[in-house]
Amino acid sequence: MTSGIKVDHLRHVYGNPGNEVVSVHDVSLDIGKNEFFTLLGPSGCGKTTTLRCIAGLEQPTSGSIELDGVVVVSDRIAVPTFRRDIGMVFQDYAVWPHMSVFDNVAFPLRVGKKLRRSEIAERVEQALDLVNMGQYIDRRATQLSGGQQQRLSLARALVRQPKVLLLDEPLSNLDAKLREQMRGELRLIQQRIGITTVFVTHDQVEALSLSTRIAVMNGGRVVQEGTPRDIYLQPSNEFVADFVGATSFIEGTATVATPEALTVETNVGAFACATNDAIRAGDSVTIALRPESLVVADEPTDAENSFAGIVELSLFVGDSVDYRVQVGDRLVRARGSARTQFQPGARVTMSVSASDCVVLPSRVTDEISAANR
Amino acid sequence: MTTDIRLPPTAPATAHQPVATPPRRRRGRPRIGTIVVLIVLAYLVIGPILMLLLSSFEDTSGGVVVRPPFPWTLQNFVTVLTTSKTLSVLGATLVFAVACLIVGFVISFALAWVVERTDVPLPGFIYVLVVAPAGMPGVISAIAWSLLMNPTNGFLNVLIRAVTGSTAEGPLNAYSLGGMIFVQGIALVPLTFLLITASLRNMSPNLEDAARASGARPWTVMRRVSLPLLTPVLIGALVYQFVTVIEGVDIPLVLGLPGRVTVFSTQVYLTTHSAFGLPNYGVSSTYGILLLVLAVAPLLIYNRVVRRSQDYATVSGKAFRPTRRKLGRWRWVTFAAIMVYVFISFVLPLLVLLYASLQPFVGAFTLASLSRLTFSGYASTFSSSLFWSSLGHTVIIGFVASFAVMAFSVALSWIIVRSKSKLAWIADVLAFIPHAIPGIVIGLAVLLIYLLIPAQVYGTVWIIVIAMVTQYISLGTRLTTGGIAQIQVGLEEAARTSGARGWQVWRSVLLPLLRPAIINGFMLVFLATIKNLTLPLMLQSSDNVVLSTLIWNDWNDGKVTETAVLSVVLTAVTVVASILLRRFSGSGEELK
Repeated sequence: MTSGIKVDHLRHVYGNPGNEVVSVHDVSLDIGKNEFFTLLGPSGCGKTTTLRCIAGLEQPTSGSIELDGVVVVSDRIAVPTFRRDIGMVFQDYAVWPHMSVFDNVAFPLRVGKKLRRSEIAERVEQALDLVNMGQYIDRRATQLSGGQQQRLSLARALVRQPKVLLLDEPLSNLDAKLREQMRGELRLIQQRIGITTVFVTHDQVEALSLSTRIAVMNGGRVVQEGTPRDIYLQPSNEFVADFVGATSFIEGTATVATPEALTVETNVGAFACATNDAIRAGDSVTIALRPESLVVADEPTDAENSFAGIVELSLFVGDSVDYRVQVGDRLVRARGSARTQFQPGARVTMSVSASDCVVLPSRVTDEISAANR
Repeated sequence: MTTDIRLPPTAPATAHQPVATPPRRRRGRPRIGTIVVLIVLAYLVIGPILMLLLSSFEDTSGGVVVRPPFPWTLQNFVTVLTTSKTLSVLGATLVFAVACLIVGFVISFALAWVVERTDVPLPGFIYVLVVAPAGMPGVISAIAWSLLMNPTNGFLNVLIRAVTGSTAEGPLNAYSLGGMIFVQGIALVPLTFLLITASLRNMSPNLEDAARASGARPWTVMRRVSLPLLTPVLIGALVYQFVTVIEGVDIPLVLGLPGRVTVFSTQVYLTTHSAFGLPNYGVSSTYGILLLVLAVAPLLIYNRVVRRSQDYATVSGKAFRPTRRKLGRWRWVTFAAIMVYVFISFVLPLLVLLYASLQPFVGAFTLASLSRLTFSGYASTFSSSLFWSSLGHTVIIGFVASFAVMAFSVALSWIIVRSKSKLAWIADVLAFIPHAIPGIVIGLAVLLIYLLIPAQVYGTVWIIVIAMVTQYISLGTRLTTGGIAQIQVGLEEAARTSGARGWQVWRSVLLPLLRPAIINGFMLVFLATIKNLTLPLMLQSSDNVVLSTLIWNDWNDGKVTETAVLSVVLTAVTVVASILLRRFSGSGEELK
């Protein structure tokens, strides 16, 4: 498979000499054709800067970028944005308020190579139909709602049939319900037309549900890259585990570490955990526990990995109950069934299956938290 | 503005970075357009200051013009700093400026508070009437007040004497420091009022409500919350108006000259255009430099305040209704008091000009004089070719200067706000400096430059255009910078990612979106150039007379009726235009 986008040792520094900020440290990505690739991370992690370097809106300090086999940035070349074969959707829509819906979408065709009027009209209509906006073609852009403006902006990005689609947090300005709906449509459209897509977001749900692959970024570096499943179920460090899902952590020491079994001794008891080749017996480690993998009960069970705690906070959220449970000296987040709700002060027992106990080496975790600082 | 590659400034390669990186691509290479704009502006802005410095160190006694080989001397500074005249001029300038600011700001703040925070009747009506005098040129209001309050036959004095039976001169005297302060102080009100009401209006109601909810009494809310929040705007307005007061020649010339009160601006004018003997450009440059220093000091403070003003960002997008104080039975009393103020500050000067323009000669105001009303003044003015040529010059200067100012402003603002060019700070400085140069100093410096350079500019309307561009580039840039800052960067970037080249981004996105700001700025600068007396007077020749200088010349020659006719005509134009401008643009926030 040839690369759709290839980013090689990208580094981006801004600010004046003596007062510079490194926004992207050393990022290399190889994104396949027609992939839906997500850059996920908290604000300031360098994901947007990376995207803007791909678009040519920022110039990297060093490193190179290829779009569809064509070098657009290297030590010798800097292809200006307008010559790059891209379409881009911005967080704040960036719909031109002085133009109609039609003119907004037609713009990329009009500034590019000359097309016949009828052809422009035809392609604008196609693009608008693709995003279900056909009936708004004669409206003024300012008469549209937020969701409609974002569809318009997507149509504009797709109208000249670029090789690469860049999405800079396109859903984050929409309200929750609309966001969910657009999420589905975005993926459908991307699959239907088949286009290499880079999606920037800080929302783990968007990232997990849309992407073919995810690169989690922190402090200007990629800290883990993999499929949504990998990222969620096998976080390779505490940052990823914490950022992707509201994970609780318990420190301990590995006592048994074989290819068949991994046991970790903690101050709330011993845990049988999912095996991990990187762990040796005697290593100090951290166990990552997802709230939804914990089972909350009111009396001791003989299930594996059970431990007791006292409910500190209990929030009914409709389909479940969110708990903060005091276990030893730390708070553990758990999600319980909505049918019974334990009140604060109640004594509960929690259990978790060994396959849901992900063990992270503490060394990696320390490095990540150091990079965060 | 058509080059495509823009690169941010970057650091030199660090140790663990590949050294092979050729530095050329990574540097912010300035574009040709940026460099051209900056060079032209540097010439317009820095040129005058250098010329002023140069000529202050030249021996120019006996009317000598600054010329190579530039004999250096400290004589001008010795002359200026050792005469007692300088000290009295400095004293008069400071007293004049401070007193004007107090008068202007106290009136403006009271009016603004009443209009925005009480239930006074007809606030919209009051607003329009308080702001309307903004259109009246300073020279005209000075002339009107001279007609009303000159000690010999000012109408008000005649009236008071008729009542009291006194036969002495006075009792009111426009030709005094007090008279100047009164007229200039009132002239400051419209703009100051606009600035204060705008920020009172923009202040988030939550901030005041929160104080109220915390148990603060209305007076405490005002003292501990509202006033501190207004501080940046108030200081900004104070400094701006300070420069306005010390830079103009209009009121000091009309009222100060007969009363033998000299301030720096008139001193610069008189040493350049000496009625007796030859001009001494070196000495006037030295006075100009002193005036420049006087203006720059508070501006440095202003700049710091503006930089800090983000701490005070209180603008909320929401429309809101602040709690208005109930005035009770004082409601209509307050209204009546404001109407009296409006009558005195605006209606009375207009009436007196109108009356004078309809009289064959100006005498005491009696019933008999009302029967002598005649339009002959208007007839002779409209048949004079000097009137039409002055009108033509005024219009040409207004259009060309406003167009040039807005073109430069848009370019400068874009460099400041959007380009990541290394030269952006230069654009920022160039746009700010003219704000610090008093108009009279710009006039003097431009005069000196074209006395030295043998370009065919001296004595034409173009020298006035050049000076006007220098003077108003700060105003224009402030408007366009605000305009460009309001356009989300995304709109520009969306055009670029859609495949638009530099010029296509300008033509189809930036300029259309900037149009309101550009039109607004154009009208504002146009109005300001029409009202300006200082620059055309400093640069006057027989071939470039404009309406404002024509008014002053006629007044100086004692042609009262002609002066009054011209004043009525010009005021009608500028007042109507400025009211239309407010309608069009909303408010005067641009001067913040």
